[in-house]
Amino acid sequence: MGYVRLVHSASAVPTQEGTCLDAFKHELDYVFATLRRLGVSPGEIEDLAQEVFIVLYRNWAEFDITRPLRPYLFGVAFRIVCAHRRRRAREIPHPTLETPDGCPSPEGALQSKESIALLQAALESVPLLRRAVLVMHDLDDVPIVEVAKTLSISRFGAYSRLRKGRKELTGAVRRLSREGARR
Amino acid sequence: MIRRDPSYDSDVEALLERGRIIVPVPDVVRARSLARARAIMGVAVALPPKPMLAWWRRGLPLAAAASVALVVSTASALVAFRIRAVKDPAPPAPPMSPASAASAPIPMLVQLPPVAVDPLPSPAAHPQRLVRQVPSLESYAAELDLLQRTQVAYAGHDFSGALALVAEHGRRFPNGRLAEEREALRIRSLVAAGRTAEANRAAASFADRFPRSAMLPRLGTEP
Repeated sequence: MGYVRLVHSASAVPTQEGTCLDAFKHELDYVFATLRRLGVSPGEIEDLAQEVFIVLYRNWAEFDITRPLRPYLFGVAFRIVCAHRRRRAREIPHPTLETPDGCPSPEGALQSKESIALLQAALESVPLLRRAVLVMHDLDDVPIVEVAKTLSISRFGAYSRLRKGRKELTGAVRRLSREGARR
Repeated sequence: MIRRDPSYDSDVEALLERGRIIVPVPDVVRARSLARARAIMGVAVALPPKPMLAWWRRGLPLAAAASVALVVSTASALVAFRIRAVKDPAPPAPPMSPASAASAPIPMLVQLPPVAVDPLPSPAAHPQRLVRQVPSLESYAAELDLLQRTQVAYAGHDFSGALALVAEHGRRFPNGRLAEEREALRIRSLVAAGRTAEANRAAASFADRFPRSAMLPRLGTEP
């Protein structure tokens, strides 16, 4: 008499590509949030997120997966945003066909009392490198040593930028709040 | 926990507290981003080894060894022939027909080791078999590869390069499986390059050709 024997199938071995994609998938929200905090317009976030993925994918074989991924992703995103801004500065402006990006203006943000929009607007007034230090340290809770390493600056430089960035952020929040209260 | 700067007042501190919350990306955007990421990885996942290249890599040492053996054996045969000619001068041979030339024994060549020619892979056999095995897979991989390069060029803001690659894709795979993605990339590259009129024409043609495309809503180019 015939019988059927149940055999455990071999579990699928995660491929390098698979783990890379999984990591990107897991941190997609963070990548988008980081790009937004670094001042990328909503219409460009998706394209720049793809550039982050390309860098991650190319370097995934060398990446030490025991280390936290977020500071690394932040460093990649920061460099991509810097390069993107340099390119934009060189380009001759032309009327783009993009729809308005939907980012609320500071006034709109204050009127609707959206704290995140207010913070975003305030961050916009902090220069990029200081903003990067500020976001990494004060929003992502990354220690300053790691911040300095990720952004390839000295620890002193990181502290200095953090101090200045905090002053600028506080000033911008006060200014935006005053402007909002006046309207 | 990171120590906060005392210069922050409570309002800014509260603002930062709320700003730490990461807003999830909408599902549509997430799906689109992951699909693009998969497309970037596509070539490596779909067809890791290149058959022709692998064949050449495998056959190269063998071919080199065979060539050396052929040269050595030819040289030794020439030497043997000269020695024999000096030792035992023969009368000039009568001219032979091609058929008899093929069948007639040549004493000089009998001495040669037969291994000289055998290891060389016959160029007619293997490539044809390989080409027959993987035409569709190869063309799909080539399509993906080309489109991936286009995407990289577009992401790198090399819009003229991206358009050139789109044109190449159009020439090689006019009705390829990734024609829809190609046309979408064409429109986006034209828009980004500031060629508004061409972008609008391309968008109109895209809407005609792919009326149910999921990409259509994002490709509206009219200001």
